[in-house]
Order: sequence, then structure tokens, then C-alpha cells
Amino acid sequence: MTSLATTLAPTVARPHLVVRGQDIPVILPSKRDPRLRLSAVIMTLHVLGQTMLGFKVSIAQILVCIGVGALIDGTVTYRRQHVLAWPASGILTGSGVAFVLRASGTDNGDWWSLNGIHFFVIAVVLALLSKHLIRPGGRHLFNPSNVGLVWALLVIGPNHVFPQYLWWGPNDLGVALAYAVILAGGFWVLRPVRMAPMAVSYLATLAVLIGAFAASGSTFIAIWHDGPISGLSYWANIALSPELLVFVFFMMSDPQTAPRSPRGRVVYGMATAVLTAGLVYFQPTEFGIKLAILSSLVVVCAAVPLIEQRTRPVADVDTDDEVTPLPRPWPTRVAAAAANPAIIAAAIITLAAPLNTAALAGNDQLILIERGLTADGNPQ
Amino acid sequence: MAATDTSGAALPPGGPQSPTRKSLTTLALVALAASAVLGSNVFGLRAQLLGVDAPEARPAAAGRTVGEQTPAPAPTPAAPAEAEAEETLLRSQPWWQGLTTAQGEGPSALDPVTVSGDAIQWRVNATCEGSSIAVRAEGEAEPLLSGDCESAAVGYGVQTGDVGLRVESDGPWALEIEQQIDLPLVEPPLPAMTAPGTTTAATGEFYRLDQRETGTVTIYQLADGSHALRLDEFFVTPNIDLAIHLSPLEAPQSTAEFMASPSVYVAPLDVTAGSMNFTVPADIDPAAYGSVVIWCPLIDSAYAAASLVPPA
Repeated sequence: MTSLATTLAPTVARPHLVVRGQDIPVILPSKRDPRLRLSAVIMTLHVLGQTMLGFKVSIAQILVCIGVGALIDGTVTYRRQHVLAWPASGILTGSGVAFVLRASGTDNGDWWSLNGIHFFVIAVVLALLSKHLIRPGGRHLFNPSNVGLVWALLVIGPNHVFPQYLWWGPNDLGVALAYAVILAGGFWVLRPVRMAPMAVSYLATLAVLIGAFAASGSTFIAIWHDGPISGLSYWANIALSPELLVFVFFMMSDPQTAPRSPRGRVVYGMATAVLTAGLVYFQPTEFGIKLAILSSLVVVCAAVPLIEQRTRPVADVDTDDEVTPLPRPWPTRVAAAAANPAIIAAAIITLAAPLNTAALAGNDQLILIERGLTADGNPQ
Repeated sequence: MAATDTSGAALPPGGPQSPTRKSLTTLALVALAASAVLGSNVFGLRAQLLGVDAPEARPAAAGRTVGEQTPAPAPTPAAPAEAEAEETLLRSQPWWQGLTTAQGEGPSALDPVTVSGDAIQWRVNATCEGSSIAVRAEGEAEPLLSGDCESAAVGYGVQTGDVGLRVESDGPWALEIEQQIDLPLVEPPLPAMTAPGTTTAATGEFYRLDQRETGTVTIYQLADGSHALRLDEFFVTPNIDLAIHLSPLEAPQSTAEFMASPSVYVAPLDVTAGSMNFTVPADIDPAAYGSVVIWCPLIDSAYAAASLVPPA
């Protein structure tokens, strides 16, 4: 009935392009699309990063990432749906990668530098490939920019790339403005997608665990700090880092890769925080800590179907009208999974991200880099 | 970032896969697995494939001379016992390590000299008493050095491994052969530092002024009343012509502050990483000073300092 009403309704002229006699609909961004809000917040932070916070990324690197993301996403959407849609997701993935990834040798103020641009491009391409190809349940499993960043930082490695520092610099006004943008932007973005409880559960759990580590004497080293960071500084530089807030508010909050139920989202937040803390505990360097934060989301995203299953309201699970099918035996399920390339790929990523992150704890070169003791200039 | 994808786009329905698609899928999975292995950097695989900006671990230099073929040059007051070469990632400002010396008269062929694979280059310093001298490396058409005996001659080479040398001269000659390395120097403490009658005059831990640093300093009053200084697990940002100074300030906080007070030169810091010994000139009483400063006279910059604290 609904579709009939829709069919019979007077048609509104929609924008379209005519290419070689073919009519191609054009879908422009909607003001109500939450991705526009997110883009506005991230772009504001990019501007602050360039002007006041000394981010070691060039405008050219940011634009190339956004362009590559938009091109891939736009092309995939066109091939699948025969529409030219505003590639909001691709733009977000590109700007997200450029927000975190840094190529060794790029300095703030190198506005048009294309130094290490291949690292950025490959991170964006892999991020979007993961989105469009790894869809074991019909929707993408991993947060695209997160998985692209983890791949780039682990595989390209600390000699060539590094993540944006947890500490955003000594510019008090710049940092205060950044916090204001993050907190106000977080409220603006999270409220419509009902992700605030998830963010609170992550931040509160992590604050407690990192506090316990700080109290027990954990330290880390970072290129921007002389000597080990310990005690209250250890806690504050991790648990209150603007970089962490950006991760929680604007990356973890992706409704496509988070559980749908409110309870599931809280569990998702807490589980990610516990895993973050577990990986952070062994890391002596800022690079390792940042990877621990990002890798924990890879693992928990892979577990979202399980979280959804376990946190589904009882009414959804057990209804009189529904006959619950008997679960298939384990060997059958394993065999089915082994024949599904998307599940194999997801399994490789889910295992490799935390294991390779844990291996960073014993990387002597990384320690040397973070201590600023390399003789021929420092990759960071 | 948070790709709030509301399009619900999905892959087209499956169906039987074409052989091409199957092959591409398999290839993609193999590439993914390979990148997972690469990401672990197992056996240094990532470093080998993608290269490293930070150095790989190599054995530190265990002395200012290789083996015990030559006596230790100044400023080390006595040849220390042989130290164990330990694996290190730290790199020093390139410095010259003695390989061997040789003396003779007239044309001579020397036993091969073993240049380390870690050496950046090596050199021969030659002096002679006849009219001229030429030194040739085996297999090289051009001589390493040739000249008259009125001034010292120096020749450089870059071969590593065993290098045979031939001297052509019409009188007595002497050669000093050194290799340039950027490895940290790990010397054991001088025997005099642990001899009876030696006391620790002061210790300190380095802190940053203009450059990166790490390590400690210990000043010993030796049994004969002289002083020696030892740096342990030391590193400072490499540069040429660095020097160790003693400053009357207890804890200088800047180059300007250091320069405002008269300091004294103790020794050149030709090696900028490792553990090493230096003699303190006899006319300097370290007790009159409050700190050790690593000074770069080329750019008037205090790199690092350590406050001297007498033992409790």
C-alpha cells in the first residue's frame, strides 16, 4: 500500500545528469544527514590543527585523502545503484585517515607537501576496500578509517608513519578551542545517533583502568616529552587526551559498525575500553598506546554481532510467533565460515591487529624513536 | 571517520563465482595474510622490505682501538680491560677508532688490515723520514696516498674486510690506520677507577638543555690525586666538535645561563653515545664546580648538563 501511494504521488523534479543519453539521478547531501555534522566538526579540527595546534600533516595530504575516499565511494555507489550520490562516507573516511596518520618528515606549515602521500592513499583505499568487501553479515564489520589506520601504522611501521600525538601541544588557546569543538561537536553528533551512553561507558571504564595503571607505576615515553610520563600525567595524557575523545566521539560512534540496541552499545563501549586498557598496559611508547586504542576497536567491531546477539531484548529473542531454529553444530558452522572469504579476512584482521600491536611493546627501534635518540633525524 | 552510512548499500547478490573472481579473492586473502605477517615485523621482515630510518642493532665498539694492537690514545689515560661488545641501536657521531699501527723502512708489504663491515670509511696517516712515501691498497690502481715526507700524508679508503697495504718509500716510515664508525663506545671503567685509594668525588644525571640526552656522569679522585671522569649509558644528540665542560653553576637551565658563568674545558667529546672514560686535566679541581655541561662551541649551544652531587 505504501509503495503504491509513493508511486501515485506527484513526482518532484529531482536533480539528474544526462550522460550520453542516459539519465543519472544525483543525490545531494541532506541537511539532516548526521555525516554532514561530523564532517563539519572534523574539518574544524583540521583547520585548528593546521593553524594553532601544529599538526604535522599538509593541506595537500588532507585533500588527497578526501579526494581518494570520495572517488572510491562515489564510484562504488554509482556501479551499485546507478546514482551519483554525495560520497559522504568516503569523505569522512579520507578526512579521518588524514586526521590521525602522519608521514615521517612532514612538518606543520608544509601546506602543499605530498611527502608520503602513497601511505595516505593506501590507507584510504584499504579502509574503503574493507568497507565494501568485508561484509560477512551484509553490512560492513569494521570502521573503515580505523582499519585503514591500523593497517598503515602496523604494516608500514614506525620508521615511516606515526599517529597524531595524544598531546596536542603547548598552545593553550588552541587546545582549549579544540576541546570546545570536540565536546560541543560530540554532543551535536552523538545525540541524534544515541551514542552518548556508549561514549560515557568507554571513557569512564578507561579512566578507571588507566588510573589504576598510573597508580601502579605504569609509564610511557613520547617524542614530545623528556623522560617517562608517569602518575597523573600518564592518566591525563591518555584518559583525557583530545585524540582519545575524537576517537570515541567520532570514530567509535559509527552506527553502522556499533550495536543497535542501547544496552549493546554500552557493552560495546565498556568492552572496547577494557581491551584498550589491556593492550595499553604493556606499551612503553605513545605509538604503541595509540595503536592499542585503535586496535581494540577493530577487535570489538568484529565482536559486534556477538554483542548484539547477547544483548538483544528478550522479547526479540523469544516470541510465540517465531520458531527459533536449532543452532547448527559447531563443525558445520566452522566449515561454513571457512568457505566465506569475508569471514576469513575478518578473522585475519581481528587476530593480527591486537597481536601485532602487542608486539610493538618489544620494538627497540620504536623506543629509540620515541626517546628521540636516532642519530639521523627522527621519523616523528 | 564515523562513517554513518545510511545508504544501506550492499554487495550484489552472490551466485556462482567466476574463476577470475575466485582468483582475485584468493589473492586478496593471501595479500591480507602477508600484510599481517609483515605488520608483526617478525625476523625484522618489515624493516628489511621497507627500510629503516632508525638503525638496526649492531655490536657496540668495545674500545677506542680494535683489539690490543695499539695503545689507547689520549684522552684515555690507560688502556682499559677489553669490554664485551653489546648489541645496541644507539648511534654516535662518527668517530675514528684505531685499527693498527706499523713501522718500517723502504718498500714493504703489510699484513692485511681487517676493516669492520660497520665502518663508514678508513684512513691511513703516514709519516716518513726519506724523500717521499706512497701507500697502495691491494687491487686499487691509484695509491691511497702519496707525497713528500715534509708533511704528514693522509689517504682514505672505503673497502671493508681484509685490506692488504703496500708501502713505497725510500726511508723509515710509520703508519697509523683507523676506521670511522658511528657505533657507541662501551669502555669498561679504567683499572685506576676501581683501584684501592680511589674515591667517588661526585655523580650526576644528565638533563636536557638544547638537545636530547640520557645517562650519568661520575667523577673519580684517583689514588694518585688526579681526577677522571666517566660517562655511563650516555647519549647526546650527535654533532662534531662537542666538548665536556665543568661549570660553576649547580644546575644551568639554558645556554645563556651557562655562557654567563666562566666554565673550563675538560675533554673533547668525539663519541656521543655509550660508556667511556676521560681524564680531567691536572690543573682542574672538579670540587670547585657544580655541573658537567656538554657544550657545542660551533653554534654556542649547551646540549645537556648534569648537576654534580657529592656522595652521601
